[in-house]
Formats: sequence, C-alpha cells, structure tokens
Amino acid sequence: MPPAHRAVLRELLRREWRERYQGSLAGGAWLLLQPLLQLLVLAFVFGSLLPARVDTAGLSFPVFLALGLFPWLLFANAVSRGTTSYLDHAGLIARVPLPASLYVHARVLASVLVDGLGLLLVLLVLVLGFGLGPTPAGLAAALAGLAVLVVAALAFSRIAALLQVFVRDCAVLVGQLLGLGFFLTPVLYERAQLPAAFAGALAFNPLAAPVEAIRHGLSGHAGVPWVALGLSGLFAVLLLLGSIALQRRAGRHLEDFL
Amino acid sequence: MTAPLIEARGLGKRYPVVGARGDRIAALWHLLRGRPPGREVEVLAGIDLRIARGESMAVIGENGAGKSTLLKLLTGTLTPSSGSVSRHGRIGALLELGAGFHPEHSGRDNVRLAAAIHGLSGVALAEKLPEIEAFAGIGRYFDEPVKHYSSGMVVRLGFAVIAATRPDLLITDEVLAVGDERFQKKCIRWIDGYLADGGTLLLVSHSLYHVRKLCRRALWLHEGRIAAEGEAHAVAQAYEAWLEARERSEEPAAAATGRPEFHVATLALAGTDAGGALAAGTTLVVEAGLRGPPGERPHLLVGLVRADGTPVYGVSSEMDGVALAADPAGPGAWRARLCFPALALLPGRYRVRAHAMDPEALRLFDTVEREFTVRGEARELGLVRLPHHWEAP
Repeated sequence: MPPAHRAVLRELLRREWRERYQGSLAGGAWLLLQPLLQLLVLAFVFGSLLPARVDTAGLSFPVFLALGLFPWLLFANAVSRGTTSYLDHAGLIARVPLPASLYVHARVLASVLVDGLGLLLVLLVLVLGFGLGPTPAGLAAALAGLAVLVVAALAFSRIAALLQVFVRDCAVLVGQLLGLGFFLTPVLYERAQLPAAFAGALAFNPLAAPVEAIRHGLSGHAGVPWVALGLSGLFAVLLLLGSIALQRRAGRHLEDFL
Repeated sequence: MTAPLIEARGLGKRYPVVGARGDRIAALWHLLRGRPPGREVEVLAGIDLRIARGESMAVIGENGAGKSTLLKLLTGTLTPSSGSVSRHGRIGALLELGAGFHPEHSGRDNVRLAAAIHGLSGVALAEKLPEIEAFAGIGRYFDEPVKHYSSGMVVRLGFAVIAATRPDLLITDEVLAVGDERFQKKCIRWIDGYLADGGTLLLVSHSLYHVRKLCRRALWLHEGRIAAEGEAHAVAQAYEAWLEARERSEEPAAAATGRPEFHVATLALAGTDAGGALAAGTTLVVEAGLRGPPGERPHLLVGLVRADGTPVYGVSSEMDGVALAADPAGPGAWRARLCFPALALLPGRYRVRAHAMDPEALRLFDTVEREFTVRGEARELGLVRLPHHWEAP
C-alpha cells in the first residue's frame, strides 16, 4: 500500500472511531463499558434469573455464552457496518480518486479493533473472576479462530458493500441473514446437544468452526475442531479472492451507480 | 516539448440508465459477465486532450455538456467507457464544490482526511494546519461540523487544502462561482501566483471573464464533444457568439407564443458600420419602432450594457418628458430616435437594449437587443471615459 493510502486509512479509522462515540457523554469509555455491561446482563439473566439447563460440560453458562457471543458479535458488527461502506462514503468516492475498497477495509478494521478490544476485556474479566485459564495451545486455537472470523468478515463485507451499491435491498438482507446466522452458529448452544442430523449440517456453516475453536480453545472443555477450522479458513480465503475478482469486474463502475 | 501532466486519448463516457426497478440488478449481471452495463446514455465521446506542465486550460460549455464528467474522468473518480487517461504528477481536484467533506465531521477533521488524500499527513500536516486555517478564514467554524457551513465556507475550506498542498495539476469545477467576492479575489490571486510559479490549471467555469483572465487555452464542449479548442480568447469568443446566436433564434419563438401588449417592432443603430462597429467618441443613434393598442402612446426605455451584461446607462422617454412620434404606418405605431453624441464608452463590445413600456411608464413589456462594438485604443480602465483634467497641484 502506498504511504498516502496508509495515511488515508489512518484518517478513516480515526473517523470511524469518532463516529461511534462522538456526542456521547461517556465517549470512548463506552469501549470498556459496553462489553462489561453486556457480560453483566448475561451473568444475571442466565446465572440467576433463569439458570440455563444447557449442558456445558462443567462450564458455567454465562462463561460459555460469553465465549461464543463476543466472537460472533465481532463478526456480525463488522459485516453489518461494512455493508454500507460505499454508500456512506459516496461523497468521497465521487470526488477523490482512491481505491474504493479502502473504505470497506477501514470500516471493517475499525469495527474489528473496537470489538476485539471488548473481547479482550471480557476475557480478562473471565480469567480474573470466573476462573478461566486457557493454555498456550488453547490461546493459539482461539487466535486462529479469530483470524478466520476476521478474514470472513472482510470478505463478506467487501461483497455485500459492492452488491449494496447496485441493489439497495442488500443491507436489509444482510441484517436478516446475520440474525439467522446467529442461531445457525453454535453461540447459544453446543454442537453436541443437537440431534445428529442437525449437528452434521453445521459442517456447512463456515462460521461454526471458528466460534467453536475460540470457545473450546479458551475454556478447554472440549477439543478444538482443527480440521473444520482449516476448511473454514480455506473458505474465508476463497471468499476473499472471490470478492477481489468481483471488485475487478464491477468495482470500476461504483461511481455510476452510487 | 515537456511531457504532459495529463493526457487523454479518445476519451468517452456512457452512464448506465437505471430508472426502472430492474435496471440496477440487470446492470450488475451484465458487469459480472464482463459486459457493458446494459442501457446507457452517452455523455462524452472522442475527447483528446493534453495538458503539459505550466499550462492553463479552461473547459467551457453549457450545462450538461459533459464538463464535470470530463473532469471526473481526468481526475480518475470515474472509469472511462472508452479511451484512456494517463496521469503524471500529483493532481489536486476540487470537484462539485468541496473535497468530499463529510457533513457530520468538523472542518478540522475533514481537512485532515483531505490533506492525507493529497499526501499531506503527520508532522507535515501539523505544520500546515495553521496555514490552512488562516487561508480558509472561517474562524471558529473550523471546529464545527461541516453541516453548519454555508456553501461558500465549504469551498473556502476545500480551496485552503488545495492551496496548502500545491498539486502539480489543479483541477477545479466552478469553485470561483460560490465564494464571496473577497474570497474569489484571494483564490484568483493564489491561482495567479501558482501559475506564475509553474503550476498547471484545468478549470471549469461559466464565467468567461475568469476563463480569459486565468487560462491561456480553452476547450469548448458541446453535447459531449469538443466544439473548439485553442487560445482562450478565441474559443471564449466563439462560444459567446454561439450563445448569442442561439438566444436570437429563440426570441421569435417566445414572441409568437405571447405577443406583449406593447412591443419593440424595429430596432436599428445608425452611425455604425456594416459590422456593427463605431469609433469611440462618435455619435451613436438608436432608432426604434414600437407597436401597441391604438390610441395608447407607449414609452421607450433604452439601456446600454457591456457584452457581459454589466449595465452602463439607461434612460427612458418618460424620464426626459419626451412623447414618441406617431408612425404614419398606421394607428398604434410609434417611432423614436435617440442620439448619444460623442459617445463616452471605452472600446469594447456592448449591447443596446430597448424596452417597450406602457403609457404610464410603469411596466416593461418587451426587450430587444442589438450588439455593437466601440473601436479604438484605450489604456483607461472601466466602461466610460469621464470628463476630467489634471491640474497643477
């Protein structure tokens, strides 16, 4: 990337950051408050209010849920914010000759950084307060899972953002699909609890393995699905290559349709 | 000859037609198969252009002639449908007023991004920021969201960034039309200095005054094609002539649809030669024939304006207490003859405007114009030669 583009990316990141917290009283403190509050709510609802009867192999349910939910949110937030990147930057795209995918990358990167920091904070709380103690091998698995999620988020965002320029229904559809994906991915439940037929079908969800890799890696309560994670990683990379090919074909005409 | 900063060969642009609901998805489908995106309208075709370092070129033409599209293609924000553009050096563009500022962010934040786009960031930007702030001269608004700006302030800020980054080639689109007069002068002064220092300019403007003042070459676009290209004065003049010819051809049509109650039937200038020119200091005679309802004697208002429309002088028969003479041609026909002896107008192109007015001289009914040129040499400034003399102090 030429240095000028790096500087622009840096400025776009600053801008994303400001857009999130500008005008709010707590400002950047929300970065810490939001995941902690979310965790508190989870612990209260599923720990005290309606103790979950899900079999979590000895893991307390709030911990089990947090280890699935925060990685999923990292993915889902990135995709839903990334989808409107081009539309939200139409003014710049019309006036400034920059590679348009820069705008998607800034969006996704900003979202991943914010949510990644939140995830780190949650993990810290889980380690200090809930007795979570990941092994180095487990941490590596979690990092690998996270990497796959980020690459997939980038690929999905690039494709959705481009389609959104041509067909404005795309953002609505992405919202619906993310809602569906939440339930089709083992966030609220464990793959082992599903009837055999459904558990097998999860193999077709490329997001299942990375979420499980993060959860199992960090908690150590079940084995890391390395093979499935590898396939998911391959899928994410292929999707990214596909998005590049798509960009090459249709991306040249963004300005005509914005 | 120096290498061109920008060169376009056979440049053309067709926009997709996306009015109907299915057009967009169809266009996407065509693009994915590597075809052109379905139905298209052509807005620009066959443009060859070459701008060398140190040149200044204006693009003129009517609205919709393709000027902005051409600038976008040259800048690179649009992909050409045909032909190619090659660019060398840093290009700074102010397209569609403003550098793509985001309304929610402050002027300062927008400047940071705009400057980064022009390759100015980090320490270099921190050094330049006060200069940008001073050039824009928008005071405390610099830290307000851009949505609270007037359109003039947006342009000031955009221009300030350009001024600070000093691109090799400056491409601007009607910036000078928005700012107030003081800022316009500041911009023009800056552009003058920039050109004198070897800068290169490509300017779109509807102000032929700016075109003549700032540019040495001009390109006249008409319906997406080059109508003329060459020395700025000559192209601007050709364009002006074409505009006037078109206006004249539209006038009778307007008259036919609703003939005013009182109208100017004939207007002629005596004292001018066949080309409509007279020497400075000679007598200009305006002869007008008016028509109106029988028995109602109209008044005549005559105005002299410079070719660009700047008023010089206007006077009516009512002001001077003159009654128009009845024309033997018939009832309702009137004649007037107005003389300007020793015409004080400085050499240049002017127009006589004649208006028919009602008998009370309250309402204007009709406007007819004739153009004339005052010949001669004069180094004086302005429109008219005022009587004056120098005295020993």
